Amino acid sequence: MATPTHRRRSVTRTHERIAQLGWDRDYHEPVPIYDTRYVFPDSAKDPMKQIMREYLPMQLEKDDRLYGGFDAALRADMPTKADERWLEVMKPLILILVFAEGAAGRCMSVVMDVVPNEELLNGYHVQFVDEVRHIGLQMGLARWYTKNTPDPAGWHNGQEFMSNNLITRAGVNMFSHAFTGDPIAAGITMMSVIETAFTNIAFVALPDVGARNGDFIQATTYSSVQSDEARHISNGYATMLTMLQRDENVPLIENDLQQAWWSVHAWVDPFVGAIMEYFSTDRSDEESYLNKWDRWIRDDWYRSYVEQLGKLGVDIPPTLFDRARERLVDGLVHKTAPLAFAMWPLNFWRFDPLTEKDFEWLEKTTPGWYDEYGATWEAYAALADPAEGALLLAGLLEGAPPMCWSCMLACVIDHDMCHRVCEDRHGVERTRFYCSPECRWIDESNPGRYTGDRNYFDRHHGKALSELIIESKLIRSDGKTLVGQPHLKQEGMWTIDHIRACDFTVTSPNIVSAEAMGLPSGSWHDPSDLHGAVQADGNGFKPIRVDHDDRVANPLTSMAAAAAGGKNWVAL
Amino acid sequence: MARQERGGGRRERREELPERQFQWVVPKGRKATVYEDITLDTQPSVHRFLHNGYFVSYPDGRGTWDDDSTALDVLGWHAFRDPAELWERPYYQQGAQCEREIEAATQGARADGLLAGIDPSWIEFLRRDGQIPAFLEHGIWSITTRRSRAALSDVLTHAIVLYAAMKQRQAQALVIEGMDLDADFGDITIEAAKDRWRTEPAWQPTRALIERLGTITDWGELLVVTGLIVEPLLGGAVRRELLMRGALAAGDPITPVVARNAQREGRWWQDLTTAFGRFVLTDAAHGDANRELLHVWREDWEPEALAALDALEPIFAGGGVDFTTARDRVRTDQEAVLAEAGLVDAPAGATA
Repeated sequence: MATPTHRRRSVTRTHERIAQLGWDRDYHEPVPIYDTRYVFPDSAKDPMKQIMREYLPMQLEKDDRLYGGFDAALRADMPTKADERWLEVMKPLILILVFAEGAAGRCMSVVMDVVPNEELLNGYHVQFVDEVRHIGLQMGLARWYTKNTPDPAGWHNGQEFMSNNLITRAGVNMFSHAFTGDPIAAGITMMSVIETAFTNIAFVALPDVGARNGDFIQATTYSSVQSDEARHISNGYATMLTMLQRDENVPLIENDLQQAWWSVHAWVDPFVGAIMEYFSTDRSDEESYLNKWDRWIRDDWYRSYVEQLGKLGVDIPPTLFDRARERLVDGLVHKTAPLAFAMWPLNFWRFDPLTEKDFEWLEKTTPGWYDEYGATWEAYAALADPAEGALLLAGLLEGAPPMCWSCMLACVIDHDMCHRVCEDRHGVERTRFYCSPECRWIDESNPGRYTGDRNYFDRHHGKALSELIIESKLIRSDGKTLVGQPHLKQEGMWTIDHIRACDFTVTSPNIVSAEAMGLPSGSWHDPSDLHGAVQADGNGFKPIRVDHDDRVANPLTSMAAAAAGGKNWVAL
Repeated sequence: MARQERGGGRRERREELPERQFQWVVPKGRKATVYEDITLDTQPSVHRFLHNGYFVSYPDGRGTWDDDSTALDVLGWHAFRDPAELWERPYYQQGAQCEREIEAATQGARADGLLAGIDPSWIEFLRRDGQIPAFLEHGIWSITTRRSRAALSDVLTHAIVLYAAMKQRQAQALVIEGMDLDADFGDITIEAAKDRWRTEPAWQPTRALIERLGTITDWGELLVVTGLIVEPLLGGAVRRELLMRGALAAGDPITPVVARNAQREGRWWQDLTTAFGRFVLTDAAHGDANRELLHVWREDWEPEALAALDALEPIFAGGGVDFTTARDRVRTDQEAVLAEAGLVDAPAGATA
């Protein structure tokens, strides 16, 4: 029986007291280091009511269960029971998601730097602490896989590989939107799009696929992560409701939400779609990625969230959403996959040839799949043995579509691909390719945003593949066997000598495409720059005029104009 | 069966295979710790692995991370380590333990009837000033959490975030204590405390100092100013000398537990920031320039922090605590902290 001395403290009353800790500054106003175009109302609501006395034991309990699960999974011999193909894709997936967690945390810090409403700040900060937790959990999982799964190669230098791999570096690009630039736009990217729309795919639907493939520890870890996401989604909604109190913010939200949606879709859909559809050997799941997308993104996010914003005065036409779905129907995932998988010598994971069971499942879930893609996958299987002495990449890279300047993935939808010619900072005309008019719109309306040596192949144009593999450190500790392999067998692994024997030279599809189209150079690589970038590395980069057609005369005014609807993307 | 055989073979060679270690981790000791494995290089940079530069930049030219985010410079920020190797799990363990201890102290004091034995004048002090340090902690939280994103390594970012989280926990613990005591003694409100924080002359130099912290745009300066100046002088004075010693003398069984846990967390930050001081001051290329900068920051902040401390003399008197002795103690301890950081020579008789 509870004694009279043990009184239950009201969470609401406690929070009301804690919420009094903010005060109006009289001596010094806070100095932000980030700029925002948004204006802030006087009041806001904290939906989280998070009190450390409740929060800390709750998180500890979840941690204890999860880390106990790691031990239990080992005792249950899960490392050898989980499907090996599935375990391979955990290498890029987990490491890019660790970067995403870091992006989410840093997003909170930039948002806090500009949001003056004390009511919201506590929730943001607790989210940053959550993100530190998520980094710990997921790096703990990565460490567990490294120590215990059949083939750890790739994990061992994973952070460096992740930062430079064709696919995952594009993920670095996408997640960097969530904590760089206008803090509120970054917050919308992270909280309203990545977390509200896509964590259901990444942290609920994807672990379901993992569990079907015998990987219970991945599912356990991400379920624990997802248990925090509901609070993060609340943060995003509270931010949205707060901003909507001021009419000036409405066009900014309309612009930023649409741009964020597109940037996230452009990378997450092909990446996660390929993982779900190609890396699962369990084919008991009858849902394709598109089916899951309709359930989690269309029904749970677009219809339940974005459409409802219309009632609050946010006018977002369905066009961009429909366009994204249309691209999935047009084969965004399946068209991206062949080049990504043919890149196996440059990947830090292995992938085995598709089986008859895989073929049947893909044909069943995507009718017509075999006719369009079957031959490529049969070639993948035929060339998996080094004795064949040939690389699928050699056939695919020649004539491959260029890489998109904005999303950094291949421009695989022919009728969507577009380009523009613009001057670099030295006044030299160069060609930028885009996978879609939307990616072009995003680049044009955000001058100075996209920096670095972006086109993966430009820097390696004319280089021997063997040289690139060695330069990328993609060799195992025996000094000859490649990290990436086109099969999962321990015998018959490819070595650097096999690659040398293929005598394959890398070419840049961007350079080749520009030449073929009679356009100015498609290369944006500058060997004299520290990081190889014509547009410099971001550190010390000065804003430049990239308005070849005078579309964006001044970065700040053009941002404002674009944000206010002056540059309707449809006009492109 | 084939997999089981591979599994057995794998276990035999597990420790030897380089592929089973995170090769990017440069361990401080012989082997990488869990902290190092799960923390290091989770924040990549153009100096660590982003060989193609930053892909997303600010319109004003700043990259995803900006080397100019602090005036300090070192050969590599990634080399810095938290001496305590705090990561999320021990953080939650320690934080939850703090809250459990405070909750147990509160419930135990009520169950054993200890609240009746508290010196009435101390109750008056708590009614008047007991919750005001929560504003001090909250103010530090407010700026710290905003500067965490700009820090130039994962270790530093995580440390700043966890420090901020500790500040918020400490602030909330004081408010909850006030709420509990309000139920027992009445007339202990946060509104009254906030009003006094904003108007009582003795607290105004402290408030001005905390508000000025919010103007710091350099995350390195924030570490130095909080760790080597504000926390040792004001934090130590308020938490240890005023709240803990005052409460112990007055028979208050709860406040010392609140303050002691805050001090325990404070020692982690002190160790981290003194290590940070040594790190920047001993940098082979930039140590001398960093030393000059730290002296500038000290000259800029320390007089104001000392003035804020001196202004608290009547508050200490109200709590029955001898201010001169308390001031001498924290001043001596701060000198020791500065010496530990390598900024000054070690003083005689330091206790910190």
